[in-house]
Amino acid sequence: MIDLKELILEKDNLYPLLRKLMKDARLIAPVENEFGDTLFSVIDDIDTTKIDLTNQPQESLKPFFLPQQETVASYTIDEGEYSFTPPPPALQTIFFGVRSCDLTALLYMDLIFSKPVKDATYYDRRNHSLIITLGCNQPFDNCFCEATGSGPYLEYGYGLQFIDLGDCFYVSAGRSKGADLLKKWSYFFREVEEDDQKRRYQLLLEARGQFTKNIQVAHACRKLQKEPVTEEIWEQLSSRCYDCGGCAYVCPTCTCFSVDDTPIDRNSGLRIRSWDACTSSGFTRMTGGDNPIDRSRHALKRRFLHKLKYDFSSHGKASCTGCGRCVDICFGGVDITTFIDLFTKQETV
Amino acid sequence: MTNSIGELVDADVLLITGSNTTETHPQIGRNILEAVDGGAKLLVIDPRKTDIAKQAHIHLALRPGTDIALINAMMRTILDEDLADDLFIAMRTENFIALRDYLHRLNLDELADITGINLDRIREAACIYARSSKSVICYCLGVTQHTCGTANVQAVANLAMLTGNVEKKHSGVDPLRGQNNVQGACDMAALPSVLPGYQNLADNEIRARFEAVWKREIAATPGKSLTEMTHAGKDGAIKAMFIMGENPALSDPHLDPVQETLKHLDFLAVSDIFLTETAQLADVVFPAASFAEKGGTITNSERRVQLCRPAIAPIHNCRPDSHIIMELGKRLGCPGMEFDSDAEIMEEISLLTPIYGGMHYDRLAENFGLQWPCSDRDHPGTEFLHKYYFTRGKGCFTITKHQEPFEKTENEYPFTLVTGRGSYHHFHTATMTRNSKRLVREYPQALLEININDCKKLNLKDGETVELRSKRGAVHITTQITDRVQPGTVFSSFHFFEVPINQLTVDAMDPQSKCPEFKVCSVSLTKVSHD
Amino acid sequence: MNTNFIPERAIIRTIVHENEQISTFRLELINKNVPFTFLPGQFLMLSVPHCGEAAISISSSPEALPLFDLSIRKAGELTLAIHKIQEGDQVGVRGPFGTPFPIEEFASKNLLFIAGGIGLAPLKSVIDHCLFQSSTKEDAAGSITLLYGSRSPSDIAFRQVIELWKKQGVDCRITVDEKDSSWNGNVGLVTDLLSRCATDSNTRSLVCGPPIMIRFVISQLSAMGCDDTAIFTTLERHMKCGMGLCGHCHLDGKLVCIDGPVFSLSQLKRLDVTEFSR
Repeated sequence: MIDLKELILEKDNLYPLLRKLMKDARLIAPVENEFGDTLFSVIDDIDTTKIDLTNQPQESLKPFFLPQQETVASYTIDEGEYSFTPPPPALQTIFFGVRSCDLTALLYMDLIFSKPVKDATYYDRRNHSLIITLGCNQPFDNCFCEATGSGPYLEYGYGLQFIDLGDCFYVSAGRSKGADLLKKWSYFFREVEEDDQKRRYQLLLEARGQFTKNIQVAHACRKLQKEPVTEEIWEQLSSRCYDCGGCAYVCPTCTCFSVDDTPIDRNSGLRIRSWDACTSSGFTRMTGGDNPIDRSRHALKRRFLHKLKYDFSSHGKASCTGCGRCVDICFGGVDITTFIDLFTKQETV
Repeated sequence: MTNSIGELVDADVLLITGSNTTETHPQIGRNILEAVDGGAKLLVIDPRKTDIAKQAHIHLALRPGTDIALINAMMRTILDEDLADDLFIAMRTENFIALRDYLHRLNLDELADITGINLDRIREAACIYARSSKSVICYCLGVTQHTCGTANVQAVANLAMLTGNVEKKHSGVDPLRGQNNVQGACDMAALPSVLPGYQNLADNEIRARFEAVWKREIAATPGKSLTEMTHAGKDGAIKAMFIMGENPALSDPHLDPVQETLKHLDFLAVSDIFLTETAQLADVVFPAASFAEKGGTITNSERRVQLCRPAIAPIHNCRPDSHIIMELGKRLGCPGMEFDSDAEIMEEISLLTPIYGGMHYDRLAENFGLQWPCSDRDHPGTEFLHKYYFTRGKGCFTITKHQEPFEKTENEYPFTLVTGRGSYHHFHTATMTRNSKRLVREYPQALLEININDCKKLNLKDGETVELRSKRGAVHITTQITDRVQPGTVFSSFHFFEVPINQLTVDAMDPQSKCPEFKVCSVSLTKVSHD
Repeated sequence: MNTNFIPERAIIRTIVHENEQISTFRLELINKNVPFTFLPGQFLMLSVPHCGEAAISISSSPEALPLFDLSIRKAGELTLAIHKIQEGDQVGVRGPFGTPFPIEEFASKNLLFIAGGIGLAPLKSVIDHCLFQSSTKEDAAGSITLLYGSRSPSDIAFRQVIELWKKQGVDCRITVDEKDSSWNGNVGLVTDLLSRCATDSNTRSLVCGPPIMIRFVISQLSAMGCDDTAIFTTLERHMKCGMGLCGHCHLDGKLVCIDGPVFSLSQLKRLDVTEFSR
């Protein structure tokens, strides 16, 4: 039986705790760089790095579990002998300051990369990681995690969840790894008091009330099960899709990839897996030129149906986590919220 | 650009001409689409139904090379409908009467005929543009790559001045530059007839200032333009060339004379990041560092000078362009080639170039750079131009007359060939982009856009190889049946060395800008039998 | 054999040049201890040095193991490279992947195979397997008929195999779109051959070829009264993993590499398959 405790960490104890954790594992947390971008970075020196828990990290955890380019094997072809070698094993890593939406995305990725086979490199990284989330007390401009059921706070799935109560963190263990951590470093923590619980609840209610966008995600998902999307909507959206792949690349739950062999020299090379976007025509085009998908009309069809229709029906939940990154990046203004808006307004025939 | 890119979002009317904005200027395209979502009206002038044309409220699909006729028709409509900005014209311009009288003598039906557009549509677009005081014109190479390119731009300027749409925020005339630092290159006078900052080469005082710093005499006579140099021919006066980051063996018009010129040089040196078609002809190749391996500044369409820092050290023996030039300069005995940093080079630029006067590196490091004119350290940069006065004082209306393109269609060459960038995925001669598997996957080969009606007449299928021929040369290319081009017009990109489309284009140039007429030449199409 | 992207090494034992475009490569795993078996209709991800992987249907039947065949048509970089490979060279294979043909359902049924071009390759696996079954079982399948169309006589593949099948009692009818001087057989599309066939509730039809051919044949079979559950095809898609991860073969909520590539018409009709719905 795992004892999933809840404890309080005074803010003064945060860095001392992190310093201890860094001795046995890589620590990755959001850091604001000199250009004003907040990105998940490996913390080398905790004394000179300022961990940024205020701004939304521009990227999700995806680059760490499914890197943009990843060597899944190396091969040699030497005097007729063709052989492959797996990549080196993953490093023990603690991720700190992960938002609820990004953890939800990771849980979704766990599903994708475990059936029908467990993806070796993904699970290697996953088994060597502990995720410490930070619940959002204030949504960012484009967020709608409330509508997707992926925030602002989570009930489960995390290793540990931190809620910022002002002068301290309300810490909940969600998995045995998290519980073990609390046990090992218990002297940094104190017991939860009633006031702490009240404050946490208060903050959650306030956070929920601050979303500026009203995106009807569940409504769209249910409607999609019963009703087809009109061709007009698909064409309207596709006509503004630039084919930049941005949405698929920044999306925490877009996991489609391509695998290509790249020679290093005559006798060796690397088998590289890289992100791919289903919005591109080359994604489905076969050698010989046949393409079952007409991008000019249906560029965005698969992506949106995948996130809101198919995943909703197979997992009971849309795989959009409401992080708002595609809203930020889309050149044509045809992100998932635009689709949800258009479709929910579509008249039922 | 007279505007800043961000101003486009709040314009009420956007007139986009000769620009396939979403495919070639994605960020600017994004601003335009945002403006449209906010209620702005979008007017697009382009012979092709590009992606941005599809979003337009009015798409004026004119016959290639008839921009002046179209704009004259629009201006005449504006006068007829009494929509001209009389106050602006009176206070800020000259030569209006001459233009007005000229426009009144024109026959609108004839003009509409020349453009091939329904006159009512032209009138409608003109009125939409003129009625708003927040109207912006964006233009690109579809306007400039003509033998009347300069006149085309003057016509555009006329239109803007006629309606006073050029002195306030959210209104203006915005050329979208074709490469990320062509603005910067022009600012630094990589041009034959000006000094940095567009200062007058003929002005003795200005030249003296440069001579004092550069410690050598500067000739007062203008040099040659790009096409003049690459078309000098085997007996031309040019004996040697140093070509940096340009691939004229593929990108210049009418390639045969280019090949001849390059092959007959006594000496050719090329500096580039890959062994391009031009580099393959060189006697010496300098491996240059890419954008990721060097520092410096890039000046974009909105005149913003942006600081770039190297992300990685140069790979192998690659050197930044500045190092290559300094080393060459030293060996050629050129004084003043000892700069220890990019910042030091910029200081010399600021000293000699008034519009870059305040562009010091420590300032550029903040706020994503500064927009020129920026005369000194305290100047904040300039968001939009011509707020109170034009550079020459008052704006001058120029009478622009329709001029047929250099080459007309005829029986033997019945189609008009337009060339340009083919898709979102490739850049120019694809020196960089064809090294990306993903980009190549999305657009693997040269395609000839051809209208379905033309295909039916010629009994052509989609994906068929045809011979495309002009008076100057021929290529084999694969067809792509589309409604993007009008019947009688075909379109091809210049990205693929296997289909060197510039074998076919004309080298006729605009007399002032020397810009070649890439946008119009006459071709024939013939089926190629299957092997 | 599902260790993600690392294939098993296989050696090319023999190569049969079917025609200018198609060759059949007979392979054997180098490591004989690796348990490897498959069912007709399944495919492998074939690795060719420096070229990456491609999804290729297995064209032999399981009875031929430890040898297995990949019949490959020249199309792109990888397939062109494999045609330069020689006997004794090594390649890599991962798999088998995909839902096979429901062979158990075909017992004592009359089987009608309709193939166009390279489409005969996956169907061959089924034919060989059924012939083997019927040679060892009393109550085996009913009749086996093959309708096979090619563009021209020089595009016909598996000529020797077809002769062997004829001897084993398979009713083989071949047609070409365009004949040449040597051709004395049928000229026309497979649909013409089909119109001269009879089907009943005991017929099971397996169709494979270019999408347009599949479309017309399926619609003709339906018009002839065949039930949607009695018509099967195998879909082709751009694939990068074969294991349901990469997303390329996603089709209306299903994955062609997992839920297919074999589909019955009744399954297809429940999917938004645009290539058939024109």
